[in-house]
Amino acid sequence: MMPNYYQHYCPVKILSGSHAVSNIPYELETLGCSRAMVVTDKGVAGAGLLTIVREAFSDASCTIGCIFDKTPVDSSNHVVNELAGLFIENGCDCFVAVGGGSVIDTAKGANIVVSEGTDDILKLQGNEVIRKELLPMISVPTTSGTGSEVTKVAVIYNEDMKVKMSFVSDKLYSKVAVLDPRMTMTVPPRITAATGMDVLTHAIEAYTCLQKNPIDDIFARAAIELVRKYLIRAVEEGRDEEARLAMANASLFAGIAFSNSMVGMVHSLAHACGGVCHIPHGIANAILLPFVLEYNLDSIPQYISEIAPMLGGSAFNGEPKQGALNTIALVRGMLDKLRVISGLPIRLSEAGVPEDKLPDIARAGINDGSLVFNPVEADYDDALGVLKRAF
Amino acid sequence: MIDPIRKTLLAIRSLPFYPAFQTRVKYLTIDAILSFFGPAFEAVSSRVPEIKGELAQWEDGRRFAVGVLPDGPFITLEKRGDMVYYLGKGLHEPEISMLFKNLDAAIPVFVGIHGSFKAFAENRVLVKGNLAHTMEVNRIVNIVNAYLFPALVHHRVLKRPPRFTLAQTFTKARVYGGLIPAVIRHMI
Repeated sequence: MMPNYYQHYCPVKILSGSHAVSNIPYELETLGCSRAMVVTDKGVAGAGLLTIVREAFSDASCTIGCIFDKTPVDSSNHVVNELAGLFIENGCDCFVAVGGGSVIDTAKGANIVVSEGTDDILKLQGNEVIRKELLPMISVPTTSGTGSEVTKVAVIYNEDMKVKMSFVSDKLYSKVAVLDPRMTMTVPPRITAATGMDVLTHAIEAYTCLQKNPIDDIFARAAIELVRKYLIRAVEEGRDEEARLAMANASLFAGIAFSNSMVGMVHSLAHACGGVCHIPHGIANAILLPFVLEYNLDSIPQYISEIAPMLGGSAFNGEPKQGALNTIALVRGMLDKLRVISGLPIRLSEAGVPEDKLPDIARAGINDGSLVFNPVEADYDDALGVLKRAF
Repeated sequence: MIDPIRKTLLAIRSLPFYPAFQTRVKYLTIDAILSFFGPAFEAVSSRVPEIKGELAQWEDGRRFAVGVLPDGPFITLEKRGDMVYYLGKGLHEPEISMLFKNLDAAIPVFVGIHGSFKAFAENRVLVKGNLAHTMEVNRIVNIVNAYLFPALVHHRVLKRPPRFTLAQTFTKARVYGGLIPAVIRHMI
């Protein structure tokens, strides 16, 4: 069905494939930059991935002005403000984010602070609030999950309020996204599984939520099909370059899709699980996806049903609800397999969520902006019901 | 018969002052609706227990505004105690602003053609301020809409139309009874 109205925007140049990282200095020079701030985390640095980036800069006129490798798992407003201060102190003029979603979002947050000339990211909360052009930023994802390299969203943890905040703006797009299979080879099986399910969740929510549109449907479909074909392969054989690059592309496609179509209740509750219990985002998404699909089932059976063939099931010509149930069974099948081969938890209890925290998660979940885009209304009791079923 | 009517309408629309006139009419329509909506919000919040339950989570003095970019109209409301008070037209230092990008984006929501959730989904609303607080505002706007709009249009303006109990229907009647005095009080 054609939507009454939709918007689509993705101004990111994409470099995908063998030795893509080597092109970063050239791209920065083209953008008029000369001194880059590299943002990363201890895990990336420890895995030796920074060496690949350093090598790329070895014969370039553009230099690395500073390396910040202290990005935590759930980056906070305080880290963002600290990073912005270091950027100015070191005279940098662009960001190169090398890492997962937290690293890329931290760099986006610091870019907002520096470009808007403020001292605190919290002053610029909201949707489409940023007015100034941000400094050039290149994103190099080292996990295939968040799609943050092509999204207009930055999720930052508010340490004071204990919630994850979303910053949404067309200004937040990276100038260039670099997908290099070398950068995801070392990701362990369990994280590969969780981030892969994050990709699937992005694509499925983009395909089924209220801002669904024909352009993003194409990206979502492509992402779902790549996940079906390559996720298990990437988990079982991490050195499989083709599978790694395919998953990086799936993540990027899903990122483009959900950056425009947005996400729904899975993400509202997953953000809340992260905020309240520090459950990794991909794991929370993986656990909640089938339960939220069940919750939305009666409202959008047709859209959920259409996903079954993309996941390798047969097209269903009968009642859409039966087809939708088939899709949910296929998602559960994939989760069961990932659980066996990687130890991915498929229940909140297995992921370490205490039962007495479910009300707090439900309360935080209904205050998450993603919920607006869910096709079915959800209040506190509804959210708690889904969480209890997923426990 | 249709052609002469269409031709006349086209002729009117091609008059040089028509776009400005049309914009003025839209502005005044929304201005009138917001002038009603502000006091109505007050009337609903003083009578509806569901709103009081939501407001219990808010800090006192939280202000939020609803309006249309770039030049209004706008209204600002404030939480005090267990009620929401209408502060009048304009932006009075709101913590949260929900601003439609233009008059055409706002009209369908204010006249009940579709709900604010659809305007959000279609990227027609700009939100300034804490998004978690905006979600809280959005929930009470939905409750207000449920009590203000007749059940006939609930399926258009709300994702999940409410099923009112007898007590809630009685509250709705009380809300309707309090609307005119509330509007008059703010006009004086």
